[in-house]
Amino acid sequence: MKRITLAVFASLLTTASTTFAATQAANTNTVAPTLNVTATIQKAVSLTLATGTTGGISHCAVVASAGPSDYTMNFGTVDALGINAGNCNKFNPVTPGTTNAVYWTDYQITPVFTSHTATSGTTVTAQVTTDFVAPHNILIVRDTANSSTVPAGAASFSAMGTGAADNIGGAAVASGTALTRFIGVAVTPANGATVLQGAQTATVTFTLTVQ
Amino acid sequence: MPAIFHDPENATHAAADETGRMRRGFSRCWAVVILSLSLTSAMWAAPKLKLATSGTGFAIAGAAPAYTASFGTMNALAFGTPATNVTATALSNGALYFTTLNVSVQSIGGGNTGVVKAYVSTNFVGNAASAMIVYGCASPSACTSAGQFSALGTSSAGETTLASGLVSGSSSADVGLAIFLPDNNGATAFTGLSALGCTVTFDLFLNGGGASSDTVTLALLNETVQSAVQLTVGSAVGGLTIGDSGGPLVDPFSMNFGNVNALGIGPAAGLTTVAQAGGIIYSSPYNLLPVFSDMSQTSATVKACVSATFTHSTVLTLEDSATGSIGSFSNISTNCGVATSLTSSAGDRSTVARYLGLFISNVNGATAFTGLDTATLTYTLTVP
Repeated sequence: MKRITLAVFASLLTTASTTFAATQAANTNTVAPTLNVTATIQKAVSLTLATGTTGGISHCAVVASAGPSDYTMNFGTVDALGINAGNCNKFNPVTPGTTNAVYWTDYQITPVFTSHTATSGTTVTAQVTTDFVAPHNILIVRDTANSSTVPAGAASFSAMGTGAADNIGGAAVASGTALTRFIGVAVTPANGATVLQGAQTATVTFTLTVQ
Repeated sequence: MPAIFHDPENATHAAADETGRMRRGFSRCWAVVILSLSLTSAMWAAPKLKLATSGTGFAIAGAAPAYTASFGTMNALAFGTPATNVTATALSNGALYFTTLNVSVQSIGGGNTGVVKAYVSTNFVGNAASAMIVYGCASPSACTSAGQFSALGTSSAGETTLASGLVSGSSSADVGLAIFLPDNNGATAFTGLSALGCTVTFDLFLNGGGASSDTVTLALLNETVQSAVQLTVGSAVGGLTIGDSGGPLVDPFSMNFGNVNALGIGPAAGLTTVAQAGGIIYSSPYNLLPVFSDMSQTSATVKACVSATFTHSTVLTLEDSATGSIGSFSNISTNCGVATSLTSSAGDRSTVARYLGLFISNVNGATAFTGLDTATLTYTLTVP
């Protein structure tokens, strides 16, 4: 008796399956096909630069580039005595002929990361990966404090690392939150046959690491 | 043997052996007369036209001059199993149910050539006439595809030749007969049984002209038309490829967004990214094609719901848009009882173009997810 009951049940299931075709049906007014949607989510990171917006100071433009670098920034004409205005801000040397003049600007750097399960150790670093050539009478500097506070003077800046990256993000890097930082070029009062003059270029590499 | 059987001269002087010869001659004469009468009768018999079931055709019942047959239950999508030895094929504007039957001629006479023509002498009644149209296919065509059939005329003046060149030595041919069911919605829609069906008259013409030498009829009885609905999901130009499960009418359909991320970096071919707060939307155009027939209404609704959500439904959601533009996407309902309406004015065989959006949350931390996930959308076409 149990076998008979099971056989009838199976037959009914088969009939139902045949009758309710998913894309077509007859003698009815409705049909309901299905679409399977598949996606593979990957974690992602993004780090972008933008022109600073700090009030009360001038800003050197951060320009997206199609060249070998992602962005460019031009400090204009600079000198070790702070005679030229440059394109943004400057700190004249404390002791002309002895200390450096610093031409500087603010900028924004925005880390974005998604689908990461661990983010507490996230860092943003900066490193001079292509330095001005020797004798380095011009060098890249950054705000020593790694903060959004406007530097008070030339002493607020320190040379950006060339052999290792400097952590510029601070303790808590949040996804999607722009960081305001300061960068510049320091011009030393060096003299001699090999000092650099004219247009000079260095490259800074910023790195976001989510961990 | 006398030249004349009742010769009076020979009759009075007949010898015994002569009498015997005369008796044998008498018998031969009757045989000649009987044979002559028999031949005369055959030569002057009226040509006869007959219909019969072909080797692969539907069953023909009855006898000359009145036959019957039936195509059974049909629909304009060719959905389902047709009657025995009837083939159903879906067309771009309906469906054709076709079969073959055998026509033969007898007593056509030496030197004559038979031509068989047919027309619909009594058409379906009422709306059934717009739901079912009788087609024919002429021999020697194989009559195995829709393109070999054409509509039969509905008057004797518009008869269609189905067989020709029939002679006494080759007196039969298989011809095709079909019923075309066009998409037929609105006021002229018809469903149900046409018990009386229609009648096709077959005329035999000798040597292709003159009056019909013989006429038989084939009544197509008990023809049933059912309404039918169909909804398919297909790729749109510039969008992701939509797969199927073994044919364009076999679901589930499939759409693979491939590798995606919440920043919209590097969308695959066929995808565009659309900004959305909290993440990003990967968007692809696609098409829905509703088909319906023999419905009293000419427009339908198409709804969608997420019948099986992503496993990580807080990270991945499916959205719908008519334009694919920023701000135009909205979540597709995850409650199929209150499915998201995509259109309430879908026309028969009129493509509904939509955009399917895959929203990816940019969440990090414990609820973040990477890897493969799948959801299922159910689209419902309803013709009110």
